[in-house]
Amino acid sequence: MRSDGLDLRIEDLTVVYGGVTALDTVNITVPPGGFVTVLGANGAGKTTLVRSITSLLYLHKGRVRRGGITLGGESILGRKSPDIVKAGVAQVPEGRKLFPNLTVKENLLCGAASRSDIDGIDESLEQNLELFPQLRPLLSQTAGLLSGGEQQMVAVGRALMSQPALLICDELSLGLAPKIVHRLFELLTEINETRGTSILVIEQNASLALQHAADAYVLELGRVLIEGTADELRGNPMVQELYLGGGGEAHTSYAAIERPGSRPDAHGSRPPVAES
Amino acid sequence: MLLAFGNFTADPSVNLQLLIGGLALGAIYAVVALGFVLVYKSTDVLNLAHGEFLMLGAYFALTFLISENLNFFLGVFVLLLVMLVFGLLVHYGIMRRMVGQGFFAIVLITLGIATIIRALLLIFYGPTERARLDLLPQGSFEVGGATVRYVDLIIFGVVAACVLLFFIFFKYTRLGLHMRAVADDIEAAAAMGIDPDKVYAMTWAAAMVMAGVGGLLFGHVTGAIDRSIEAIGLRAFPAAVVGGLTSLGGSIVGGLVVGVIEQFANGHLGTKWREPVAFSVMFVVLLVRPTGLWGRKDLERV
Ligand SMILES: Nc1ncnc2c1ncn2[C@@H]1O[C@H](COP(=O)(O)OP(=O)(O)O)[C@@H](O)[C@H]1O
Ligand SMILES: [Mg+2]
Repeated sequence: MRSDGLDLRIEDLTVVYGGVTALDTVNITVPPGGFVTVLGANGAGKTTLVRSITSLLYLHKGRVRRGGITLGGESILGRKSPDIVKAGVAQVPEGRKLFPNLTVKENLLCGAASRSDIDGIDESLEQNLELFPQLRPLLSQTAGLLSGGEQQMVAVGRALMSQPALLICDELSLGLAPKIVHRLFELLTEINETRGTSILVIEQNASLALQHAADAYVLELGRVLIEGTADELRGNPMVQELYLGGGGEAHTSYAAIERPGSRPDAHGSRPPVAES
Repeated sequence: MLLAFGNFTADPSVNLQLLIGGLALGAIYAVVALGFVLVYKSTDVLNLAHGEFLMLGAYFALTFLISENLNFFLGVFVLLLVMLVFGLLVHYGIMRRMVGQGFFAIVLITLGIATIIRALLLIFYGPTERARLDLLPQGSFEVGGATVRYVDLIIFGVVAACVLLFFIFFKYTRLGLHMRAVADDIEAAAAMGIDPDKVYAMTWAAAMVMAGVGGLLFGHVTGAIDRSIEAIGLRAFPAAVVGGLTSLGGSIVGGLVVGVIEQFANGHLGTKWREPVAFSVMFVVLLVRPTGLWGRKDLERV
């Protein structure tokens, strides 16, 4: 199994949709085997970032105006999306985007579209089922009929089927029960640590993402507003005010969940607030 | 049902003959509908040029199987190969540029393609009509006072085999899976490393090959091969819609249902009723079930 994560470098990236600038001179780095999060409110340009990396802008009439993107030192900017997946980038798209009329197993197999080692694909499928045992009885179910949590597991499993060197997750937590989101984040940490896969997590749920990531960026209106280690960002008053939202309900409910593997400094300087 | 209209003939052998004729016609509709369904299901394009594709197939069959006088199987192989190349040409030359454009813009482009094919056939083959093909066995036999032509049986068999092949292809091959994934969600498919461009190219090639098969078969049962045979596209349209436009099996059932209904309308009400009845059936089905009899409403893209 490929174990070395590749580094991703985004340099001076400017992206436009028609006349609208969605990303403006953005610089972001994911070190090899790193775990990085990009935070930001709705419309900050997070999904545009993912589309730029994976060459899907053309489906949205967007284009890169300036800048560069390299993976493991090689430019991937402007290459076709199948080539980028082959180079090692997998994604869990925003809103999961499963193939609703395909079965769970077929969805997973689609994640291996870029692979030519047929035997290895079966192995990865089995590995995924060990990661998500609850998917095993659902293999022949139509994916569109699953619950949100089950769908997100399929989406993560599908991305892992390509044995990525870099895994990108766009708003994994959207619309899911906190317990499931926690499980998924722990899994990402595990994959990051055991397989060395580089991970880039796009999130609105800042408190959770900062617990798991090593480095973090805050994107606002298409620009990088703040960057630093996750610890630095947790301590940053502006981040606390804007994104850890002083007792904001999302955060409160996550903090109330007991996490067996959580780091001691997980909640930074702010004590977790119990749910009422 | 139509018999209940009144004092039309209730002679069983006449009705049996109408049923057999209807099934034969329906099998042809099914071949055409299959072409509609392939393209619509995979690329979301309503291809109004499919009748012209079929006409192209019929004329090429004339060229390779009659004029060039090739061995039957070699001729069919060459015919289908040439059709495949034309399918790729339709994609890489035209349709590929339309990905992401509006539904109606693309439908209009297919009308443009239809016009181009008609014009090219007129230029290269001229306006004179040609005798229909006679390469398949021409005889017939009697069943219960009705005549069954061998050629109709062959058409039936070929259509069934095509549907079975497509079913196996979509269900059990990797490319088939990728085609269904692109049909479900093109962006997610691209994000997984599936190349939608290749999938679309394969789809147009497959539709064109099916039109080659259709042209070869229809060329055997039409009155003559001339510029009017593209109308089979429009005539088969109710069959495709009744079947649901997204279901391979539906295109067969839709084809047979419409074919039989048309023949009974033809036999009991007169030829002029054939098409009005077919389109009425289509409207009624659409009113009751907007997705057609077998078309499933796609699950929401969640
Ligand atoms: N297809 C599009 N056409 C035009 N503008 C778009 C399109 N997609 C996104 N945008 C704009 O780009 C900006 C960033 O959007 P997006 O990347 O989706 O943000 P986020 O994922 O952070 O919510 C927004 O202002 C949005 O309106
Ligand atoms: Mg987004």
